[in-house]
Amino acid sequence: MSTVLFYILGFTALAATLMCITRRNPVHAVIYLVNAFFALALLFYLLGAPLVAAWEVIIYAGAIMVLFLFIIMMLELAPMHTPAGPGWKRWGPVAALSLILLCCTILMVAVDTGSSQSVPFFYVSPRVFGTVLFKKYPLAVQVVSFQLLFAAVGAYYVGRSERLADREDKS
Amino acid sequence: MNPNLLFIIPLLPLAAAVVNAVAGQFLPRRLSEGIAVGAVGFSTIATLLLWPLVDAEGVRAELYTWIASGDLRIPVEIVFDPLSASMTLMVVFVSTLIHLYAVGYMREERDYARFFALLNLFVFAMLTIVLADNLLLLFLGWEGVGFCSYALIGYWYREKKNADAGRKAFLVTRTGDVFLGIALLWLFSLTGTLSITGINQAAFDFGSGTLLLLTLLLLAGACGKSAQLPLMTWLPDAMAGPTPVSALIHAATMVTAGVYLLARLFPLVSLSSTGMAVIAAIGAASALYAASCAVAQREIKKVLAYSTMSQVGFMFLAIGVGAVGAAMFHLFTHAFFKALLFMGAGCAIHLTGENDIFRMGGLGRRAPLVFWTFLAGALCLAGAPLTSGFFSKDAILLATFAGGGVFQRILWGVAAATALLTVFYTFRLVYLVFAGSPRAAGEAHRLPGVMRWTLPPLAVLALAGGLLNLPVAWGGSGVLNSFLGRFAGREIHASHALEWGLAGLATLLFVLGWLLARLRYRPFPEERISPARDFLLRGWEADRLVSAVIVRPFTSLARILWQRGDRKGIDGFLEGTGHLLMAMGEGLRRATTGRLHSYLGGFAWGLIALLGWMLLRYAF
Amino acid sequence: MIVPMSHILAFSGAMFFMGFACVLAQRNLIMILIGVEVMLNAVGLTLVGASALWGQVDGQIFVIFLMAMTSAEVSISLAMVVYLHRRSKTLEADAFSGMKG
Repeated sequence: MSTVLFYILGFTALAATLMCITRRNPVHAVIYLVNAFFALALLFYLLGAPLVAAWEVIIYAGAIMVLFLFIIMMLELAPMHTPAGPGWKRWGPVAALSLILLCCTILMVAVDTGSSQSVPFFYVSPRVFGTVLFKKYPLAVQVVSFQLLFAAVGAYYVGRSERLADREDKS
Repeated sequence: MNPNLLFIIPLLPLAAAVVNAVAGQFLPRRLSEGIAVGAVGFSTIATLLLWPLVDAEGVRAELYTWIASGDLRIPVEIVFDPLSASMTLMVVFVSTLIHLYAVGYMREERDYARFFALLNLFVFAMLTIVLADNLLLLFLGWEGVGFCSYALIGYWYREKKNADAGRKAFLVTRTGDVFLGIALLWLFSLTGTLSITGINQAAFDFGSGTLLLLTLLLLAGACGKSAQLPLMTWLPDAMAGPTPVSALIHAATMVTAGVYLLARLFPLVSLSSTGMAVIAAIGAASALYAASCAVAQREIKKVLAYSTMSQVGFMFLAIGVGAVGAAMFHLFTHAFFKALLFMGAGCAIHLTGENDIFRMGGLGRRAPLVFWTFLAGALCLAGAPLTSGFFSKDAILLATFAGGGVFQRILWGVAAATALLTVFYTFRLVYLVFAGSPRAAGEAHRLPGVMRWTLPPLAVLALAGGLLNLPVAWGGSGVLNSFLGRFAGREIHASHALEWGLAGLATLLFVLGWLLARLRYRPFPEERISPARDFLLRGWEADRLVSAVIVRPFTSLARILWQRGDRKGIDGFLEGTGHLLMAMGEGLRRATTGRLHSYLGGFAWGLIALLGWMLLRYAF
Repeated sequence: MIVPMSHILAFSGAMFFMGFACVLAQRNLIMILIGVEVMLNAVGLTLVGASALWGQVDGQIFVIFLMAMTSAEVSISLAMVVYLHRRSKTLEADAFSGMKG
């Protein structure tokens, strides 16, 4: 049952991604991407990572994509204002290149005998997850927190209003 | 008398040189000239006052130790013996007269301070050569006169020709100096000392091969300084300098330094009979060569330059046959009459504004004093009977003839032929410059008195110089020879009959040469152009020979090294590397389009390469 | 859960190269960022799959780190998008070629 679900969800995610990347209108693209992320979150859940699945929905589909939408709306990127999406001239070589790379990857995976073994169901409870995260990687958690802090400061600095920027530059 | 007073003689000109070099331009002209002339004049007086110090063994005075290093000890020590004393007296006396003359000659030059500073410095350096009792000190003076000669030849350095002549003189004499330097080092390694006396004493222990080589090295040094074959090409060009310089440096003093060096080291040199023969041969060959060139020269000073070379060749010949006394005698008389001739020539150039003797003429009536004094000098040069040149040249011819062997007879023949040529070119000069009618087109100057009145004393000295060393056969006592004592070289054994015979022959040659010149040049001849004349005019094409044998191969080698080695090889490699890196940078610059997609494209291709490589590794 | 690891890898690879194609083909800065997000998520899928394959928690933990880094990256890059748009009124990636050599 879960195997069938896996393939359905996998292809859903792929299809949504395909739709997403070919859109001209960024709003549509973001919506498709959210769609793909939901499918992906379910895949995570199937693979025994409910916590990751939850965060995928909350952080990715919920926060980051909404941020994208906010920005798009803030900049009033109506479809006519956005640059025209790429035509076949552009997509052709890129698609060929990507397909070649994909083939290479799949070939490599196929050649590797170890990769053919089935993935066991490996459930990670939030408790186990939290224990390992804070016991094994306390330093990484610190670093990532600082990273987020710097990102917040950086985003504020880069995105400050023009008037403010002018005043600061003069002083 | 304190022997240390002897240092006054060389140091006075040095002091004057320093004063003129440092402050000359700020002093009034009269004062600057006065310092220069006065210093040399006082040197002369000092020499005369200190004359009683001379004794046969020589008086030594040491100022201080110049270099002390291990075994090497070089004191600044001068020696005052008959040889150096007589040479010193000649140098300072002639220098004084020429300095006086130069005051007049350089009257219109603005750069008088440099001139007089260099002239005084030259006198100092020359006196260092003469008085030094140490070969290194002598070498110091040797290089000093070389430098002063260079600087004074190129005195009018604004014209490239003059500067080139100075450089040429410097380089050619330097070639000889290298050999002298080698000889010095070798002598030091052999004897452990550089004292001339010590070396002369130690020379008896040397092997014959060593002696020969040393003699040849010393001879090469002497040849460079004295413009003898084969290092003679610089002297005719050196006439580019002011005339007093030619008179002082390139006639009276510096060019005789080679003779003096050989005379000083005569005890060493005389031990190698082969070496002596080479010296004599070089002297005779130079004498003949220079006399033949002088016959064809057009510039008055070049005639005199070649004649100087020729007369110095006589001195070398005398040294080579062992007659140092005769050599020194000729050196002194030559200094007097050649300085006189140069000064007279300077007057002639001044009066006519011309250098070319074919365009002078008729000066005899215009300037009788210059004419008569010049004639006196010319008679001495030509060896007219009873003049100084007659006696001194005769002494050399006699000594050569008395040598006895076939080789000496050949040398004597060459010398006699040279004497005939000498008479011929001397009277050619006299007739062309002073006889006939004026042909000068140049601007004539008035002659300053100081230039004129320095001539008669020299003329008197030149004419009467024979008394210095009147041979016994003529009723004299050979004053100079007996004064020089042990420095006079070998005893000449010749009967009075031979002496008289040779004197008669010399007179005959003189008359013959005079008549030939008179016949040819008394009526002003149109100049005949012939290949032989051109050949002689250019000094037997010596310059071309040097440039073909030495300069051009050297130049082409240098050019090959420069263009192939340096330009193409080293520079090419370095610049090629630079260009390669620049081209690579240019290529990379084009790769940085600044467009996001090209970077991402590169990223993609890199990924393909990486994946492909991993695939290949898996597959095989 | 009877899925071979190779299939998970194939799905994640396909997704990754879709994002890659998006980054390469699109000229809109926002679309390029979306392509980057797609690629990052494909990597996340791989990590979770590997975590399950070896029975280790670390893979999932790294997905968390990945998300945290992504949020930082997105906040900065979107701020820069705003800044660039304000400066030159366009989101055309090719318009920003100040690094041209």
